[in-house]
Amino acid sequence: MIEFQHVSFAYERGRSVIEDLSFSIADGEAVGLIGANGAGKSTVMKLLLGLVSGEGTILVDGVPVNRQNLSQIRRKLGFVLQNSDNQMFMPTVYEDMIFAPLNYGLSREATEARVDAVLEQLGLQELKHRHNHKISGGEKRMAAIATILAMEPEAVLMDEPTSALDPYNRRLVINTIRGLKQTKLITSHDLDMILDTCDRVILLSAGRIAADGPADQILRDRELLEAHRMELPFCLAGRRLE
Amino acid sequence: MHMADALLAPAVAATMYVASGTAAGVSIHKLKKDDDAQKLPTMAVTAALVFAGQMINYTIPGTGSSGHMCGGMLLSALLGPQAGFLSMIVILAIQCLFFADGGLMALGANVWNMAFYGCFVGYYLIWRPMMHSRWFAGMGAKAGQRARIIAASVIGCVVTLQLGAFSVVLETSLSGITELPFGAFMALMQPIHLAIGLVEGLITAAVLTFVYESRPELLREADMTDGAVSAKRSLKATIVILAAVALVVGGGLSLLASENPDGLEWALFGNSDAGYAENMGLDEDDFGVESRAADTAAAIQEKTAFLPDYAFANSDTPAGTSVSGVVGAAMVAAVAVLICLAGGFFRKKRAAAAK
Amino acid sequence: MNKMEKALRELSEMDELAAHASPVHGLCPTAKLLTAIAYILTVVSFNKYDLSGLSVMLLYPVLLFQVSGIPVRTCFYKLRIVLPLVMAVGLFNPIFDRAPMLTLGTVVVSGGVVSMLSLMLKGLLCLMVSFLLMATTPIDALCAALRRLHVPGMLVTLLLLTYRYVGVMTEELAVMTDAYHLRAPGQKGIHISAWGSFLGQLLLRSMDRAQELYSSMLLRGYHEHFHYVDFKPFTFSDGLYTVGCTAAFLLLRFVNVAQALGGLIVR
Repeated sequence: MIEFQHVSFAYERGRSVIEDLSFSIADGEAVGLIGANGAGKSTVMKLLLGLVSGEGTILVDGVPVNRQNLSQIRRKLGFVLQNSDNQMFMPTVYEDMIFAPLNYGLSREATEARVDAVLEQLGLQELKHRHNHKISGGEKRMAAIATILAMEPEAVLMDEPTSALDPYNRRLVINTIRGLKQTKLITSHDLDMILDTCDRVILLSAGRIAADGPADQILRDRELLEAHRMELPFCLAGRRLE
Repeated sequence: MHMADALLAPAVAATMYVASGTAAGVSIHKLKKDDDAQKLPTMAVTAALVFAGQMINYTIPGTGSSGHMCGGMLLSALLGPQAGFLSMIVILAIQCLFFADGGLMALGANVWNMAFYGCFVGYYLIWRPMMHSRWFAGMGAKAGQRARIIAASVIGCVVTLQLGAFSVVLETSLSGITELPFGAFMALMQPIHLAIGLVEGLITAAVLTFVYESRPELLREADMTDGAVSAKRSLKATIVILAAVALVVGGGLSLLASENPDGLEWALFGNSDAGYAENMGLDEDDFGVESRAADTAAAIQEKTAFLPDYAFANSDTPAGTSVSGVVGAAMVAAVAVLICLAGGFFRKKRAAAAK
Repeated sequence: MNKMEKALRELSEMDELAAHASPVHGLCPTAKLLTAIAYILTVVSFNKYDLSGLSVMLLYPVLLFQVSGIPVRTCFYKLRIVLPLVMAVGLFNPIFDRAPMLTLGTVVVSGGVVSMLSLMLKGLLCLMVSFLLMATTPIDALCAALRRLHVPGMLVTLLLLTYRYVGVMTEELAVMTDAYHLRAPGQKGIHISAWGSFLGQLLLRSMDRAQELYSSMLLRGYHEHFHYVDFKPFTFSDGLYTVGCTAAFLLLRFVNVAQALGGLIVR
């Protein structure tokens, strides 16, 4: 579904953020992209979405990410931003949800049906006509996910989906992610969430892949994680008081 | 400086709508031609920022009072005049729609007074020429540019606020709202706005210098990457333009006003016997077509006379001033109270039914 | 509560009012907008001495307030912004225009007083009707109406987006203001040393935010075109409302009903 072949990228000449990155994600796989601040996680997302372009080839369903194919590619990829305020730019949740489907040429009736189906799937019917600036942070995150699902993307990309959420809403988001059938690529520092939602983990360090394997294996490897400025997930660390 | 609906006659309000609408149309056309799609979200976020930022109280050192910043100059320095103008329109519309600051009908005038001058006059006649001038060049590239930003902000805010205040006076006087003589009204408004403009200018300068020092590429015309200052317009030309603007604002029109306090209205609109053209000093032989159009316009205006001063021919008796008018008004008030009582009654009934 | 929080409260109050249901809320926004403009035009066109003719115009907003169930209190709160300038301009009228106009018993009312009162009444009436329009119409519906009236799409989209971010930015600035005052007790406003950086910091962050916002629009297929939500079509009854109200306004403008009513009793 998603394939990176020897991709490199630098914002400034000589200071590369991504260096010769290659990996592929199969249909239906759930992959966690982890790494310290500045390891290049967000840049990987941006490269994949065609928001920035670097060297090498990125394929989505065999189609290269380039200027000509952008709308075709973006239609397949739903990206949930870290800051929902930047994503929800319309006055109400409903208007935000119809934004993408209508832009991608879906009819008004089909869009309505889709919106209602997604809201029901996530149990958010009550939010439909609420104003974006008047819903809580947790509701906003769920609504942001709903706006992306209304696009019916083939893959869902998420940037820190559980940041700044209370335990209840965090769990709600995790359960929602687990219920999604799409291919998933999630970046986060919340390793417990990654463990709960992903079956594979790619560990980035200074723009290169430091490890790539089953989540269960990488997230248990204390030495590996600590070598890259991370810690074991709390649920695996046990209660070790020092 | 927000005008209220009540301060404008329909004819004046409509004229200002046409003027502002034209400027908006030209701006949209220009933006579309440049095809800078990324502009729209940037405009929205910056406009929202300026909206919120105008609520900040800045303490003025040495006084107990506080000042606010000048939106037009800030927006056009960041976004360019066209995008800045549209952003200002939206800010003024939101202030008018949600905060009753201004009015639906006065929006055209408010856009002109606050957005047009701040964005177009402020940018093309002050900001851009000054950014390209060699003022303060002796201070070194960076310090010189800083000084130019401060000077342009202060001069820009003062000049555009003066123009705005003058327009308020002009529009109100033309609407026949106030009995205050034109000259006296101006003498009241201009000095106040001189002080406000100075403070607004300094605050705007502070914000813009901060931006310049952190991210100079965000400022229009202030990018110093090539090192050299490209002097498109000389200092002399800049001063000449500024002087001309000042002369027109301060001198010409106020002279006209003081000589003949009621004359301005007469001069611009003509009396009912003569056409516009004659009063505007246009030669009828040379402007035959226009003057016929003007005659027609005057005739139409005479018939419709939507200016309160001329009002409707048949209702121009000092209507509503007789005793019967007062009694009638009292009866209207009684009817209004009845409507309220009825409304309350039906609402209660519905609430009871809902239970 | 600081100024920005108050503004946020005002905004959300308008949203809440607009979300109610009533016959007025149910009208097509285009009809409401046109009628409001017709009303304001009629009101401001009244002769400055025609106080009694103007007073009849009060009935329309009163009726609307009652039918829509919008509380008048909120509207009067907003008067604090409109009235000062209107007052400042109107207050000079009694000084300059001393011609006696009306004698009520022993009290002589001058033309200036009448024109001042009518100016203030005009201010009040226009405010009430604009307020009623916004209190019964959500912003998105209004934008759809503007679009239908051929206001350029770019401007309408900008209005919609800005409205959305006014909430976000005001909230952020409210928090920043609180944070400032927590560390600067006793200061009324922002000290000169922070004049530039206080707003400047937020400005720089906003530029990045705009970039991200633009990305999120692009990723969801945006290309120079916005689809507007248009819940309510312009029906026959909407047309009837617009035409009927406008005709009534014009009638009240040309026929002084108050005078006629009073004449029935006094003469």
